[in-house]
Amino acid sequence: MANTPNKNNRKAILVTPEVCIGCRGCQTACKSWNQLPGQKTKNLGTYQNPPDLASSAFNIIRYSEVPSETNPVRWLFVSRRCMHCADAGCMKICPAPGAIYRTKEGAVAFDKEKCIGCRLCVAGCPFDVPRYDKDNKISKCHLCYDRIAEGLQPACAKTCPTGALRFGDRDKLIESAKQAGYGKIYGEADLGGLGSIFAFKDAPKLYGYAEKPNIPESVIFWHNVLKPLAVIGLGGAVAGALIHFAVIGPHKDEEVKKS
Amino acid sequence: MSEMVRKATIAEIVNHWILAVSCILLIITGYGFLFQLKPVYALFGSNYTMKVVHNWTGLVFTLSLFGTMFNYLHEALDLSSDDWNWIKMGGGYLTKGHVDVPPMGKINTGQKLYYLAILIGGLGIIASGFAIWLVQGMRTLTLLSHLIHNLCFVLFVVAVPAHIYLGTLANPGLLQIMISGMVPLEVAKKRYPKWMKEIGKL
Amino acid sequence: MTNHWIDIRNADVVLVMGSNPASNHPISMKWIMRAKERGAKLIVVDPRFTQTAAKADVYAAMRSGSDIAFLGGMIKYILDNNLYFKDYVLDYTNASFLVNPDFKGPSELDGLFSGYDVKTRKYDKKTWSFQMDEKGVPKKDPALKDPNCVFQLLKKNYARYTINKVSGITGTPKEKLEEVYKLYASTGKPNKVGTELYAMGWTQHTIGTQNIRAMCIIQLLLGNMGMAGGGINALRGESNVQGSTDHGLLFHILPGYLPTPTASLASLPAYIEKYTPKTKDPKSVNWWSNRGKYITSYLKAIYGSSATKENDFGYAYLPKLDEGMNASWLNLFYKMWQGKTEGFFAWGQNPACSTPAAKYVRDALGKLKWMVTANLFDNETASFWRGPGMNPKDIQTEVFFLPVCSSVEKEGSLSNSGRWAQWRYKAIEPIGQSKSDSDIMNELYFRVKSLYQKQGGKFPEPIVKLTWNYGEKDANGKVKEVNIHNVAKEINGYYLEDVYDKTATPPKLLGKKGDLCASFVHLQADGTTSSGNWIYSQSYTQKEGKIINMMARRGKNDPTGLGLYPEWTWAWPVNRRIIYNRASVDPQGKPWDPKRAVIKWDPVKPDPNTKKPGVWVGDVPDGPAPPMASEKGKYPFIMRADGVGAIFGPGLADGPFPEHYESLECPLEENLLSKQRINPAVSLKIQEELGVDLAKYYSCDVRYPLVATTYRVSEHWQTGVMTRHLPWQLEMQPQVFLEMSKELAAEKGIQNGDKVTVSSARGDIWAIAMVTDRFRPFKIAGSTVHQVGLPWHFGWQYPEDGSGGDSANILTPFIGDANTMIPESKAFMVNVKKA
Repeated sequence: MANTPNKNNRKAILVTPEVCIGCRGCQTACKSWNQLPGQKTKNLGTYQNPPDLASSAFNIIRYSEVPSETNPVRWLFVSRRCMHCADAGCMKICPAPGAIYRTKEGAVAFDKEKCIGCRLCVAGCPFDVPRYDKDNKISKCHLCYDRIAEGLQPACAKTCPTGALRFGDRDKLIESAKQAGYGKIYGEADLGGLGSIFAFKDAPKLYGYAEKPNIPESVIFWHNVLKPLAVIGLGGAVAGALIHFAVIGPHKDEEVKKS
Repeated sequence: MSEMVRKATIAEIVNHWILAVSCILLIITGYGFLFQLKPVYALFGSNYTMKVVHNWTGLVFTLSLFGTMFNYLHEALDLSSDDWNWIKMGGGYLTKGHVDVPPMGKINTGQKLYYLAILIGGLGIIASGFAIWLVQGMRTLTLLSHLIHNLCFVLFVVAVPAHIYLGTLANPGLLQIMISGMVPLEVAKKRYPKWMKEIGKL
Repeated sequence: MTNHWIDIRNADVVLVMGSNPASNHPISMKWIMRAKERGAKLIVVDPRFTQTAAKADVYAAMRSGSDIAFLGGMIKYILDNNLYFKDYVLDYTNASFLVNPDFKGPSELDGLFSGYDVKTRKYDKKTWSFQMDEKGVPKKDPALKDPNCVFQLLKKNYARYTINKVSGITGTPKEKLEEVYKLYASTGKPNKVGTELYAMGWTQHTIGTQNIRAMCIIQLLLGNMGMAGGGINALRGESNVQGSTDHGLLFHILPGYLPTPTASLASLPAYIEKYTPKTKDPKSVNWWSNRGKYITSYLKAIYGSSATKENDFGYAYLPKLDEGMNASWLNLFYKMWQGKTEGFFAWGQNPACSTPAAKYVRDALGKLKWMVTANLFDNETASFWRGPGMNPKDIQTEVFFLPVCSSVEKEGSLSNSGRWAQWRYKAIEPIGQSKSDSDIMNELYFRVKSLYQKQGGKFPEPIVKLTWNYGEKDANGKVKEVNIHNVAKEINGYYLEDVYDKTATPPKLLGKKGDLCASFVHLQADGTTSSGNWIYSQSYTQKEGKIINMMARRGKNDPTGLGLYPEWTWAWPVNRRIIYNRASVDPQGKPWDPKRAVIKWDPVKPDPNTKKPGVWVGDVPDGPAPPMASEKGKYPFIMRADGVGAIFGPGLADGPFPEHYESLECPLEENLLSKQRINPAVSLKIQEELGVDLAKYYSCDVRYPLVATTYRVSEHWQTGVMTRHLPWQLEMQPQVFLEMSKELAAEKGIQNGDKVTVSSARGDIWAIAMVTDRFRPFKIAGSTVHQVGLPWHFGWQYPEDGSGGDSANILTPFIGDANTMIPESKAFMVNVKKA
């Protein structure tokens, strides 16, 4: 399976916080479709609950209050979920074949059977998305790959009453957001293009997203340098030994004895 | 039959082979991880089994590596001007035919340095390996460990074949020591004059 | 809703006041967002910066309970700046009507209307009347200049609602008031429309009815009634609460909004006489003149052949209210608390959490002999005897629990806020021992009936004579299983004889005996038709011998392009999607706003019934009569005797104009507008009987200095009985919380997330503090007033570990609106301290 999505058939979710009303139908719909359990939580002085993504919470609404000039406050609701990066840090770092894979619609899906529970994907993800379930297997949004393969929308987008979550062809979604007046679409080009794209009215930071999301440099260094080096090193060592053997030959004690 | 001296204890030999086997197993599985090699995974049945094998082999490797410290650490740290001279002339490996190298003890400078490198690299790969295995929720530590683990891996994949070559083809007879532990006295006198002196054979 | 959910998308300005649709009616936000995409503006007025406020173009904070001051200011602004829709006001409202010169209003009587009796706290409404001409039609001044005309009285009444005064009462900054007024008043043009969305934030006040009346006046002034994208839209609190209200849930009405008879109305003619409004104006349709047909058809539906002309169609069998008796929710529980009630059915409800002063309600349940609870889950009512502070040994109430299946386990109809009766199907069989409500009622009915048959009893007829043709009967005559289609058909009604239109020559056959009624237009007062609920007549009908369940239709045609979808299910009345739609056209029948034409008169096209040219196209009009200006034309507001919208509304208990009064509990010593601090017409009977010192107790009590309100969150449903058992919902909202400003929190030494104790004169509960800028302190009458708010979904019984907290209704006051007796849960006083 290709690591990067097929550009022609890439599906995406367009998140428009301007029309999100924080009703959290998406949280419940996700649990319903994926049959995820509810956690025992506490009210921590905010509507946001569970506080962050969890193995049983593939998406959450992040509530944040930021200063406003005209109102007591600005209250932002924004969906937090897997970004389905084209250049996916989790896939890059994952050691287990088939554990995290790219669907033909471009989603980053996973196979618990193949997951080895190493949790490297957690470290490799620029957005702190992957979580582990009680069996120590990866658990995260998979863009309802099972629904979209059947021509349905992901459960969250299906239930969203206002269109804050819209599912469709990535190119078309970007075009529609631009037509609606959003100049820059978060995730349009970042990390090779995200599969969860955001129409932000303000700087991404305000919504809790990094201006320029990146795969950790160490992972890139590892991928670009160490991985080839591990092959070159082995090959070099073997080749070196053979050359040494052919050119110089083995160590000779006998000559010492004779001299 | 010429007189033989014991160069390696049975324990040392056993430990060496434990270390060797575990290390090679770790390298094989390591390559499996690194490049998601399905055939390698297939050897173990499932992805998860290979991870279990790698992790627990890592523990064996760790214990074994610690074991080597009793055998070689003291000796390896005992460096003198002879060692420096040995290095300068590449231990004689760069010359076809025989050259006189400075007198060596039970293990030569190359072996000392090799051991120290393996020890340091081994500690690095062990520490980082355990950190990846056991520590959760500390992203920077995991990423750092991942980096160190792989850096050390590169060291190992270079060092291990070199070691095998030097212990077999490059130095006929050496392998025998890691099997029987014994070395002909005559050979020992030439190769390990300092050691022989120490034990009064020279 | 006068309009419907989809229609919100047609508005130019959406005013959300008294509701928080983003949280409680999320689907409505879909249509608000569609409106916004078209360039519409959203105004939110709320004490708290809600999820809806977060989406608003203009947000104005307002202290709970000051809505009439806020809206009164808007009325003044509209009048002062001549922003009203002149033709509409003149032709379609009673603005030009001349009022009895003896009528006096709060501007003259310091907060009272003429006719007030202090002792009974009631008005004699004699002077709240119109001057009649010799024909018996109200006198009018089309110039709107006469000092006694409604328009001038309105002007005079709201002259006191200056921006300064309103700002002092509401705590809304003056510039915000002006911003809201200006924006909303911009819909006074013929081609601009504004809609209002309210919910319990408006109704649950001692001035609740008048809150809505104030908005009705504004909508009439701006010409927004009957228009696409206009209207007054009640966002109902439950998916089928519209249906249950339509079918007579409330104590004062029978199905179809027929008043519950009182004991003094001893005969059917007396009842019909009293409740049939009269008009002498030939242009007024006065639809309620058909009252006699509807009550008779109702009696025929429930008593069948036992309802005969000779026995007044069984009118005597109907239960009657004693004169002056108020059988409202609060009074029921007060009686129960006094030990005057023997038994109680808590069916699909949880009063131990939903009723004000809930602790007293729980005590009241302990005074019953028996209680039957019918519900999906065990709840705080069913288990009240083992609740906090209860000693099961002391409680003698025998409690029965009947497990009821959920809505997806049965077939039936559901009426949404937009009056659409939508048929739905059974998805799965009822789980365990649970049964549908109708099957439980069927069981109950036959057992009660057989007891009456065996033992006689004082008055068995009302039970034993009921028709119950709901399915196949067993050997004992008991219906084996209720066929809900039969119920729906009974509601629609039948022709019991061949029914003819006797006005036609020769008389024309309207319907054949035994057929389902075509619509309420065919209902008769002579017992030849039946209908369980006249407004639903046409919902399950018959065309050319074919029976059609109109509610099951799923057509998606939208000929007007306004989203009326006339073939999607069925809306009462007669599939009319926007009521009062005759007010959306000018007197010639041309739409005020041709771009959003709900209906328009086509003078050429032949009427399919009469074959004569001239017919309305678009939505089902409010009556087929030609436009008002034509010879046979009619006024648009057909449900009103005078045919026009009531700016002056003498029907209510507390005044023909809404007047600002403070809530029973308020932070002010006095009403800044008059000497009447609280609504003079509100009933204080219970408080007086209990000897509560009103003057001292409720206002400016230093023990309870904070204004409080209750609300809902989208994650929970009502008292939470259906949602607190769902781990998914509980995960999102696990505990009762109290939202408060940072300033108040600092004053009280409370940190975000702290556990706090909230107390009122009725009791206290704990809550988790949510310290936020979404609540800001108000400047009221020059001083700082803090407000807090909390959801009421929680209860002690579940989650079982008690981690959720208890109901906010432990705090709310036991007082009702002057007209409806709906409890005042949305404005009361509390205190908060760190727990």
